[in-house]
Amino acid sequence: MPRRIQVLPDTLANQIAAGEVVERPASVVKELVENALDAAATRIDVAIQNGGKTEIRVADDGCGMGRDDALLALDRYATSKIARPEDLATVRTFGFRGEALPSIAAVSRLTLETAEAGEVGTRVRVAGGRILGAEDCARQAGTTVVVRNLFFNVPARAKFLRSAAVETRAVVDTLTTLALANLSAAFRLESNGRMLLELPAAPDLATRVADLWGEEAARRFLGLDDRSDDGIAVAGLIERPDAAAPTPRRAHLFVAGRPFRDRLLLAAVDRAYRTTIPEGVRPSVLLYLDVPAGAVDINVHPTKAEVRFRDRAAVEAAVEAAIRAALGRVESAATLDDVPARPQLRRAEPPAPPTPTSAAANQLAFFVAAASPADADAPVAADAAAGERDLRAHAVPAAERPPSLWQLHDTYILAESRSGLILIDQHSAHERILFEELMRGFADGGQTSQRLLFPLTLRLSPAEYAVVEDSLSLFHRAGFEIEPFGGRTIIVHAAPVPHPYFNPERCLRDMLAELAAGSELTRAARNQHERIAMTFACKGAIKAGQRLSPREMQELFDRLFATELPHHDVHGRPTVVRLSLHELERRFGRHG
Amino acid sequence: MRFTITRDNLQQGLASVAASIPTRTTLPVLSNILIEADDEGVRMSGTDLDIAVSLQVGAEVEEGGALTVPAKKLQELARELPENPVRITTKGDRFELTCGRASFRLNGLPRDEFPTFPAVDFRESWRIPAEVLGTLIRQTSFAVSTEESRPILNGVLWQLGDDEMRMVATNGHRLALMKQRLETSGAPRVDLIVPPKALAQVDRLFGAGEEIEVARSENHLGFRRGGTRVFTRLIEGPYPNYEQVIPRDNDKVAVADKGALMQALRRMAVVASEQTHRVRLSFHAGTLRFSVESPDLGEATEELEVDYQGDPLDIGFNASYLLEVLRYMPTSDVRLTFKAPERAATVTPLAAEGESAPDYLCLVMPLRLLE
Repeated sequence: MPRRIQVLPDTLANQIAAGEVVERPASVVKELVENALDAAATRIDVAIQNGGKTEIRVADDGCGMGRDDALLALDRYATSKIARPEDLATVRTFGFRGEALPSIAAVSRLTLETAEAGEVGTRVRVAGGRILGAEDCARQAGTTVVVRNLFFNVPARAKFLRSAAVETRAVVDTLTTLALANLSAAFRLESNGRMLLELPAAPDLATRVADLWGEEAARRFLGLDDRSDDGIAVAGLIERPDAAAPTPRRAHLFVAGRPFRDRLLLAAVDRAYRTTIPEGVRPSVLLYLDVPAGAVDINVHPTKAEVRFRDRAAVEAAVEAAIRAALGRVESAATLDDVPARPQLRRAEPPAPPTPTSAAANQLAFFVAAASPADADAPVAADAAAGERDLRAHAVPAAERPPSLWQLHDTYILAESRSGLILIDQHSAHERILFEELMRGFADGGQTSQRLLFPLTLRLSPAEYAVVEDSLSLFHRAGFEIEPFGGRTIIVHAAPVPHPYFNPERCLRDMLAELAAGSELTRAARNQHERIAMTFACKGAIKAGQRLSPREMQELFDRLFATELPHHDVHGRPTVVRLSLHELERRFGRHG
Repeated sequence: MRFTITRDNLQQGLASVAASIPTRTTLPVLSNILIEADDEGVRMSGTDLDIAVSLQVGAEVEEGGALTVPAKKLQELARELPENPVRITTKGDRFELTCGRASFRLNGLPRDEFPTFPAVDFRESWRIPAEVLGTLIRQTSFAVSTEESRPILNGVLWQLGDDEMRMVATNGHRLALMKQRLETSGAPRVDLIVPPKALAQVDRLFGAGEEIEVARSENHLGFRRGGTRVFTRLIEGPYPNYEQVIPRDNDKVAVADKGALMQALRRMAVVASEQTHRVRLSFHAGTLRFSVESPDLGEATEELEVDYQGDPLDIGFNASYLLEVLRYMPTSDVRLTFKAPERAATVTPLAAEGESAPDYLCLVMPLRLLE
C-alpha cells in the first residue's frame, strides 16, 4: 500500500510558513526592517515599486553577515537571536523565530547582499526558495535585501494582493510604526522613485512625530511618563483634550519597543480620558509600555501583532493612571497659543543604563534622549513645560505676591501664572469641583446637607418622579433629603450648599429634568452615581454672570487645583485656557 | 444757583447722602448727587433707583437753582478743604466751588436727567421712636438672604400690629425675629417687606433721637425727620409663614456663656470646611463638646461647661450661622433649645437676675452630620 502521509519538501513547507509571515508587501517590509534594526542599523532605506508587488528593496548600514551566516539565514529556524528555550521569555529583539527570511525567499526572487565591516561582501540569489548561487561582491558594512516578484510561485496568494495604492499605504503604515518605535534610526521610503517618508534620526519622540505628521500635529500632543508600583512604565504622547476631534484616531501601542494591537488597552485609554473630552471623541495616543521581564508574552501571534500580558488588569490600570496624571497637569489645559510648546517626556527616575550588547535596549532609550529637553527653546518655554501638577505653585510668583485674580464679565477669572496667564471659566471650574467632591462624597457616605426652614414642595412629571424614587438614597447622599409625598409630589427637607448663590429648587428641578429625559452628559456617565454627580455639578455650579468676591474667587481657584483633573470640566470642555508668556512675547515681537 | 455753606455742613450733607449713591452704575447720572438751593436752604439727594436719600443742610442761599455733580469727587474734595466758608455757584452745567484761595470747577449734569423720587404722601404718616426702630433693624436685617432666587427673602418683614411691632429676616437656613411692644397709635396693621439696604440708611440717619415719621404709598415707603428723608421700594409679598416653623416643643435646653461659646466656635471655624463651615456640637449633662473634621485639613475638638440636663444630643451646624446669631444676642448668657439633630434649634437671650431681655429669637437649621 503506498504511504499517503509524507514529509513535505522544505520548499513547500517554507511556502506554507510564508503564508503566516508574509501576507503582502508591507509584511515583507516589516520583517526586513526589523532584521535591519536588530542588526543595529542607523539608517534604513526602503524602496518599493508598484506597491512592492514588483520590487521591495531594504538597505541598511547594520552589522551585516559573513558568507556562512548569510547562507544559514536563509534556512528556516536559523536565528542569531535566541539559542535556548529560556531566551524566549526575555527576547528583546524584533525577529527571533528565524522564519522571516526563508519564508520571504520561498515566495519571491530574492537577492541578499551583505558585508561585515572591513570584510568582503557576499551576494546570494534565491528564487522560490532555491539558492541559485553565492558570490563575492563589494559593499560597505550592512545588508541589502531585494525582493522581486512577490508570490510569483504562489498564484493563489498573488491574487489577493490589492491595488498598488493600497499596498503602498500599508507599507507607509508599517514603516511609520517602526519609525515611531526606533527614533535613533533614520528611515527613508521611496515609492516608484518618489520620496514618501524622510525621517532623520530623532532626538525625541516629538521630533519624530513632527517629521512624520508635521509640526502642528506634534504640538497637539502632551507628554507622559509614569511608572506604576508594579514596575510598569508608560511613556509616550497623548493628544491634548482640547485638540482631540471626533476623527479617526492614531493609536500606536508598543511594548518593549515592539508594536502591538490591543483594543482593550485602548478602552483603558478612553476610560482615562473620561469627562475631559466630549462623548464620541477618540484622542490619538502613542504609548510605550515597558514591563518587567517575563510579564509579557510576545510570541502568541506569528506576525507578533498581539501580545499577552501576564497581569492585564495591572497594565490597564497603569495606562489609565499614567494618562490621568498627564491630564491633571497644566500642559493638558487648552491653550490660546498659536504655537504651543512641543510636548516633552520627563522620566522621574534615571532609566537603566542601556546594555551595549542588546540593540533593542537602545530602541527604548529614546525616552532618555527626550528627558534632557532637546529643544532648549527658551527658558520661559522650558519652564512652561516643566509644569508640576500643582498649578498653584505656578500661579504664585516667586516674590510671595498672592495671585491676583480678576473677574472678567462676571464669568471668567483671569490669573497670573508663572508661565504666563490662565483664564478660568467659573462655571466649568465649579462643575469639575462639584463633580469630584460629590463622587468622593458618595464614597465617604454623603455630602453636607443644610436643613431647610421652609421645605420645598415640588410637583414632578411621572418620569422625574420615577427618577427620584429609583435613586432616593443617592439623592440623599448628594445632600437632597427628599420625601416622596405621593401623587408625583416630593418634599425637599434639606439641600446641599455648594456655594452662597445656590438655588436648591432650580438645581433639583433641572437635574431631574435632565436625568428623566437623558442627555449626552447622562449617556456619557458610567453609572447612576456619575449621572447624579454630573448633573448636580452641571446644574448646581456657580453660573456665568455671577459676580464673585476676591475671596470667593480665591476659594474657587484653590478648590479647582485640588481636584484630580483641574483643567477639564465634566462635559469635556476646558475649565482653563492658558496663554504662555512665550506666546505673548512672540506677539509683541519681543523675540524671534 | 449761588450759596455759601460751611465746610462741616457740606461734608455732613455729602456723607449722609453718599451711601445711597451707587459706585458702579449703567446710568451715569446716578453716580451724581443732586444739589438744590431754595429759600429753605440747600437739599442734597442721591438714589440708586431702589432707595433714595435726601437731606436739608443749612446754607446762605443767594440764588436758587439745581445741578447734579459727581458725588465721589465732590466728597473727596470736601474732605480736603480748609476750614473756611465754601462758596458754590453754577454756570449752566458747570459747578464752581471756591474755598479760601482754592477754586474748582466740576462738570455737572442738568437736574432733569436725575430720576424723580417715588411719591410718598406724608399726610397719612405714623410715628415711631427712633431707637425702637433702630434696634429692630440692627437685630434682624443681618439674617436676610443674599441669594436672588427668592426675592421675598432678600427683604426684612416688618409687621405692624395694634400694640406690637415685629421684624423678621431669614435666608431659609436661619432666622431672626424681634418683637417690641408699641403704645404709639396711628400705625396701620400692615406687613411690609423692606430692602435691608434702606433700613440700614434709616438706622444710620435716624438711629437715635426723636421720633421718626413713616408713610407708605402702594409700592414705596418713606421715612422722615426734620429735613432728612429716606424713600425705598417695597418688595412684594407674601412672606413665608415663619411662625409655623418656629419650634414650640424643643425640650433640650442648654444655657451657656455667650463669649465662651463664640470663642470656641471661632477656633473650630478655623479648621472647619471653607465651604460648609460644619461643626459638630455634642451635648452631655453639663458639657458641650465641639468637633470639626475637614478631610483635606485636619480636625479639632474643644469642651465647654454648659448648663445642660437633657438626653445626649449630637447636632451639626454651619459655624458661621451660629457665630452670627450669637453676635447679635444682647445678653451675656444665652439659651439654646433643641429637639433632634434634624430639627431647628433656637437661640434666645437670657437676662441676668433683676434685668429684662428683649423679646428676641434666632433660629438655626442644622447641617446633616455624617457618621
